[in-house]
Parts: sequence; C-alpha cells; structure tokens
Amino acid sequence: MKYKIYFFAAFILLFIQACDQQESITISGSTTVLPIISRAAEVFNESESNFNIIVNAGGSGVGINQLGEGKIDIGMTSRDLKKEEIKSYPEVEFNTISIGKDAVVPVVSSEIYNAGLTTLSLNQIAKIYNGEIGNWKELGGPDKEILCIDKEQSRGTRHVFMKIVMGDKEAETPGADLVMGSNNEEQTAIVQSDAAIGMLSNAWLSEDVKGLNIKLDNGTVISPNLQAISNGKFPITRDLFILTNGTPKGNVKAFIDFLLSPEGQEIVEKSGYVRIK
Amino acid sequence: MSVLSNKIGKSYVMTSALISAAVVLLISITLLINSWDAITNVGWGLFSFNWNPSTQEFGILPMIYGTIAVTLIALVIAVPLGIFTAIFTSEILPTKYRLSIKSILELLAGIPSIIYGLIGIAFFSIWVQDIFDLQSGRTILTAGILLGIMILPTVITLTDDALQNVPSSYREASKGLGLYKYEVIKNSILPIAKSDIIGAILLAFGRALGETMAVMLVIGSIDKIPDSIFNWLNPGQTITSKLGREIAESSYGSTHFSTMIFMGLILFVFVLLLTFFAQKKLSHSNRLYE
Repeated sequence: MKYKIYFFAAFILLFIQACDQQESITISGSTTVLPIISRAAEVFNESESNFNIIVNAGGSGVGINQLGEGKIDIGMTSRDLKKEEIKSYPEVEFNTISIGKDAVVPVVSSEIYNAGLTTLSLNQIAKIYNGEIGNWKELGGPDKEILCIDKEQSRGTRHVFMKIVMGDKEAETPGADLVMGSNNEEQTAIVQSDAAIGMLSNAWLSEDVKGLNIKLDNGTVISPNLQAISNGKFPITRDLFILTNGTPKGNVKAFIDFLLSPEGQEIVEKSGYVRIK
Repeated sequence: MSVLSNKIGKSYVMTSALISAAVVLLISITLLINSWDAITNVGWGLFSFNWNPSTQEFGILPMIYGTIAVTLIALVIAVPLGIFTAIFTSEILPTKYRLSIKSILELLAGIPSIIYGLIGIAFFSIWVQDIFDLQSGRTILTAGILLGIMILPTVITLTDDALQNVPSSYREASKGLGLYKYEVIKNSILPIAKSDIIGAILLAFGRALGETMAVMLVIGSIDKIPDSIFNWLNPGQTITSKLGREIAESSYGSTHFSTMIFMGLILFVFVLLLTFFAQKKLSHSNRLYE
C-alpha cells in the first residue's frame, strides 16, 4: 500500500514537472504544409531548447477552424480562407503568411502512366470528374474503367485543383468513386489501384504515383517540375500559408522568422516545394 | 454508527446512479440544442440524397443507408458464426480447454479498432478488390465484413455465458430421455438461453452502429447510395465515418456543424430505441428454471 502511494506521488510530480518545464507552440492544419513545418520544428526544437513545438495534421479546414476557436497558435493552410470561415470567427484577426509555393498535380496510377498515358488537358480531367469519361480507352489509354478519386470538400488541395480544373473551388464531382482525406491517404488509394486518377501536392509524387503533364489550350505541354512551378508556367499552383491570430509575437514570431530565413526556406525546398525567397 | 454509514453508503450509491443518468440526459439535451439549427433551417431537406455544404444541401439519407447496410452485413456474418462458436466452446469442448480458448477469443475484443482499420486498408481491401475484380476494395461490403469480425468476440463471449447459465440439470434430464447431443442443444438449451442470446446480439448491434475508425478507413467515404441498394460492392458512407471525417472541418455554430450533430442525434436515437427494445424483450423472458 505504501509503495502505491509513493508511486502515485512520483507520478504526480513527474506530471507537474512535465507541464511546468516548457512553453509550447501548437500547430495544426494542412497535410500539404505539414512536411515543411514538422521538419522545421525538429530543427528548431534542437536549437532552441526553451520551448517545444507540437505539430498535428487534419487539413486546411481544420487548421482554420482550430485557430478560430483558439485551440492552436499557428494554423497551416494550403488555400485561401473562405468568406464564411472569416465570418464565423469575428473576434479572430486572421493573418496569413506565405512560406512557399506548391503545385497540385493530377496524378495517375503508374500502370496507366507506363501504358503511355502521360498527358491530359484540363478539359479532359474535368470530364473525368464530371462522369462524362469513364474508361481510360476514351483517352487513348488501356481498356480499364477509371477509378476517380476525390478529396474531402474543405481540403486545400481540392480547392485549388477544382478551381482551375472545374472552374469552381467547391464543385460537385458526379464522376467520383472514392473520397479521401489527407495526401497520404489519397496516395495510398492511388498506389493500391491500377486505374486511378487523383490530385496530389507535388511533394507526394513517387515511382508508383505519377504526375501527369498538362496540355494547355494552345497545345504546349507542361510537366510538373519545380522549375515550371516557380516560373508560374504550371497551371495549378498555389501558395502555402501559415495563419496566426493577429501579428505574431514572442515564440510564435521566432518560429515564423525561422521559416522565412534562408535555413527555413532550405527546408521548404527539401520538402519538395518551391521557396519564395 | 452503522445507521450513519448505512445512510452515507445509500446516498453515495444513489448519487452515482443519478450522475450516470444525468450524463445521458445531458448528452441528449446537448445534441438536441446543437442540432436545432439544422432542424429548423434545413428541415425535411435533411432527408434527401445530396450532401454539399457549399450549396447548403444537407441530405443525410446516404449516411443512414450506409450505417444500416454495414451493420446488417456485420450481423449476418457475426451472429451465426458467433452462436455456433459459442455452442462449440460451451457444450462440446471439454471444460479444461474452454477457458483458454475463450480468453484467446476475447483477446480479439481487446484489439484497438484502428488496428483493424490498418489491416483492413493494407490487406483486406486489396483481397476484396482482387476477389471481386473491383476498381477499388474500399466498399460497403469490406467495411461490413471487417465490422463483423470486430463484433464477433462480443457475440461469442455473451452467448457462451448465456449457455453456461443454463443449469446442468436440464442437460442431464434431456440426456436421460435418450436425446442425442444435438437434440439436447437444439431443443433444450438454446430455447432456454434464447433471451440472453438476443441480448448478446443487441449489444453487438450497438457496437457495430457506433464503430468509427475502422469503418472510416475502408468504406470509401462517398456520400452516395449505390444504384442498386443491395450492390454492396460500391463505396459508401456511414454516419460515424462522416462525423469522423468532417466534424473538425465544419466551423462551430454553422448549419454544417449543426447537421453533423443532427446525425449524431439520429445515431443516439437508434441506440436508445435498441436499448429500449432489448429491455422490453428481455423482461418478457420466461426462464423456466427460475
């Protein structure tokens, strides 16, 4: 019995100490911005030991809502704020800071890419998502039904993609077969299928998930590479933002300054995105 | 002293019961208040087929359909399998193996649902995809089968307990009449244990209704009812998977948020009705040996 009390006391002490020791910054939101922030947080946690950075994901919508509700210090978002979102939190003064640039790339399963289908026009992609084209054969690919993968509606990647491809950032997609959440989940679904099309941030392209070249109206074909993104030729690009409530102060400001410093921008590039400075 | 401690004990027990009851009441009131916005603004539009928050369309029928379909599949799989397993462990297996076998089966119940989900997404959905030659293994059927496996231990353990509760004098009397073993089980033990077995099924039903994580990962999350309502090889959406995916993305206080809460309310009412039904059924049980 006595041991139990000692154990309990030690546990409480540990707990109090853990709470007491460090100040922390909490960050959550877009899974697109996540790789940058988690790498930066790792580096920053090592060099600055007096406070701690805690990073979570959830999607742009989650980042914006949680910042609005005061649950986090910094939100990550890969799209612009919606009017309704700003209206929902009248006390919060959303301050967006751009930390990098990215492209949303239409991607297909490697089987389709390797069968020779490497380029589509925006119009053709829109037809797939509208349900007007249902088989890869109609686009010059193999005779397989298209598995059209959509994303949750509030996701930043979807907003950017739909705005350029379908003309409305919250467009309905009658052709969609699956709805996925994070970039990781979408990537897994595409890898698991041999006839899928989806949308991914440029940093998630891999051997199994191939980014399509986009054919513009004037006939030029643009492939998704860092150069085409940074000079703005690739049609579906976006800024990556972090959000704060009002002007950042103290630790939050120190971290943001770090992200915008040459070292921080190096991390942006290492994560597969384009630096802004 | 003993009078006082008796009083203290009594009031302590009573307060505990009151707190538990108050929690249920509090949850239902919170759900009702927060879903009021959806009920007044969207009204009957809630029971339609289209879900698109940006155009203020909040049809929750696809989610209700998905919940019912997935739960049904899970029960169709888990109930016969579970009851037969329980008959085996309780009536046929020698007692010395029974406990070890049963505890292994109960381990199944302790596996966190996210692990079922991971196995489901990494292997099981691929198998379904290959077996049925589908575009994607993320279907209502996949979720249903996975859920069936998850509720199986509940059915097995509770049914096994129900069978064990039948006094052995019944077995002996039936045997003494010269009945075969299967006749003993079928005509004497199962009818007596029936109401307890129904209780087991209803409890498993409740768990299947509320399961979120594993279902969310494998169901495909599309807010659509398949062209044929029995074509379970299509992706779908359940109430819980919808809530899991979207609740954090809807801003607090919006109609979108309120509709999500309304779906929670529907689920809650489902479970309440179920419990009510279960209790009514069980109170009518005519246990012969009592």
